[in-house]
Amino acid sequence: MPIIHRFLALLLIGATASAETPVEKGRYLAATGDCIACHTATGGRPFVGGRPLPTPFGTIYSTNITPDRKTGIGNYTLEDFDAVMRRGKGPHGNLYPAMPYTSYYLIDGEDIAALYSYFMQLPPVEYSPPKNRLIFPANLRVGLSAWNWLYFDDGKKLPQPGDKSAQWQRGNYLVNALGHCGECHTPRNFAQAMEMEHRFAGNVLEGWDAVDIRPRALQRQGWTREQLMELFTTASSERGTLFGEMFRVVEHSLRHLSEDDLNAIITYLLDDGESRPVDFRNLEQAAARYPSGRRDFIAYCAGCHGREGGGILLDFAPPMDGNAAIRAQNPHNNIAVILRGLPEQRLSRTRARAGMPGFHRELGDARVAELVNFMRSAWGGAEAEVSAEAVAKIRRELSDHGYLGARE
Amino acid sequence: MATIPVSMTVNGEPVAMDVPEYTSMLDFLQEYLNLTGTKLGCGIGVCHACVVVLEREDGSLESVRTCINGVGRFNGKKILTVEGQAKRSADGGIEALSPIQRAFLRHFSFQCGWCTPGFVNATTVLLDRLKREPVPADKLEDTITEALHHHICRCTGYVRYFRAIKEVIESTPGLVKQVE
Repeated sequence: MPIIHRFLALLLIGATASAETPVEKGRYLAATGDCIACHTATGGRPFVGGRPLPTPFGTIYSTNITPDRKTGIGNYTLEDFDAVMRRGKGPHGNLYPAMPYTSYYLIDGEDIAALYSYFMQLPPVEYSPPKNRLIFPANLRVGLSAWNWLYFDDGKKLPQPGDKSAQWQRGNYLVNALGHCGECHTPRNFAQAMEMEHRFAGNVLEGWDAVDIRPRALQRQGWTREQLMELFTTASSERGTLFGEMFRVVEHSLRHLSEDDLNAIITYLLDDGESRPVDFRNLEQAAARYPSGRRDFIAYCAGCHGREGGGILLDFAPPMDGNAAIRAQNPHNNIAVILRGLPEQRLSRTRARAGMPGFHRELGDARVAELVNFMRSAWGGAEAEVSAEAVAKIRRELSDHGYLGARE
Repeated sequence: MATIPVSMTVNGEPVAMDVPEYTSMLDFLQEYLNLTGTKLGCGIGVCHACVVVLEREDGSLESVRTCINGVGRFNGKKILTVEGQAKRSADGGIEALSPIQRAFLRHFSFQCGWCTPGFVNATTVLLDRLKREPVPADKLEDTITEALHHHICRCTGYVRYFRAIKEVIESTPGLVKQVE
């Protein structure tokens, strides 16, 4: 028996070793970096680019990263690829920092080489994305040298505190380098550079709050390791569900990661700590304080989210009771979701997310504020109230960017 | 059980009463107004059999699911159910079915008929929308699909519903712009 075991073990080692060719490793790293998300247009072929990326300075179109010699990266040497990935320097000039070289500079050289092997063996596709539409002076790439000089320091290393676990260190690398989580979750200054002193504090993008993912915020909402694991592999959990761009991140990236790597990310996000169980339920007090908010919850929300906020199914109508979004310090997403609703989204043939109608036509600012206050008070232990003015401001922003009024 | 006052206009008639606060709109129509034409399908807002027509403040129409919405959502509003589609005489007898209803009959669109009230109401909303924003003729089929694709018919009458709806739209002046 022991001999057979050893033989099996040898076979397994052989199998892992052959799975770790540079191309295979590169494929995994490309999923970790979620390259496909930006470099694929809606309904388009993977990695050929052409997806519009809205910025305050205009629209940038992602590029073709298949190895086509004319329109893609077919002529790149490993050195060219490295310069693009880690320094934002393309053969024809500086890249706009929509390409997250501001995070990718932290990727180690071996991983860059694996990514290069993977991308260079993809089938080349000849396709040129539309030209960027940027306002002056952002349309001049010359300015990017100055931007880099001001805001980009590729000499800056990732802090690696010695008192953290090995799992934490791996998570630190995945989250900050390849995962480039901060590119969405970190607030940006007027020049659209990440404010590193507020790393992961949350940032409103395309009308949604890419939430605060600092350990204190996650622990305050009661996220457990198991719930985060469920969230990263299925996009839903008892503690909350993902939608929009982050749903796509699960679809294309997170759910393809190894359990070890997901555990490392979770350890890093919870900062080697655990959340204490939380229960903020206080329906009676909320009902007494916000009677018209409760009335609207029954009229508009309870049919799916449950009379007592228990929801129906996670993918259909998640519970409000215990929901991290209701407990979030920033009420932005509570307000935005009521106004604009949510699209249907599909993860696989058997897992899909039901949509939610938007109520911006029917519910005025005061009613939305009252409804949000009722929910945050009933299930979020909210200390601060949302004002009608705050709702009006978000409504205006959403409307100005065309996020309201699409057919519900 | 706590009750709430509700008042609204249903098929042109004002109604007002107190009902238990958790009453769904579907139960309100069936149990309190005896309007049983609106059908309960899935009960979780997916199949759209239960939609009624809601008139917005600007007069435009919208279809709303009644199984997942509380009666309170319709307070003070004007709604139309399948019972309000046909022309009726003073004693309530049916004088003439609506063009949509006639087309569904002509095309044998439905078999069991459970989803039909939802299709009739959603098509009413689509016709109202096309009256306000006519579509180019080459976009008509996509528009019908987009407007009705949430409605589930387990007898699979989709093709016949589709043909009937297209016929009504094409035979009503002003809903389609000819493409040059």
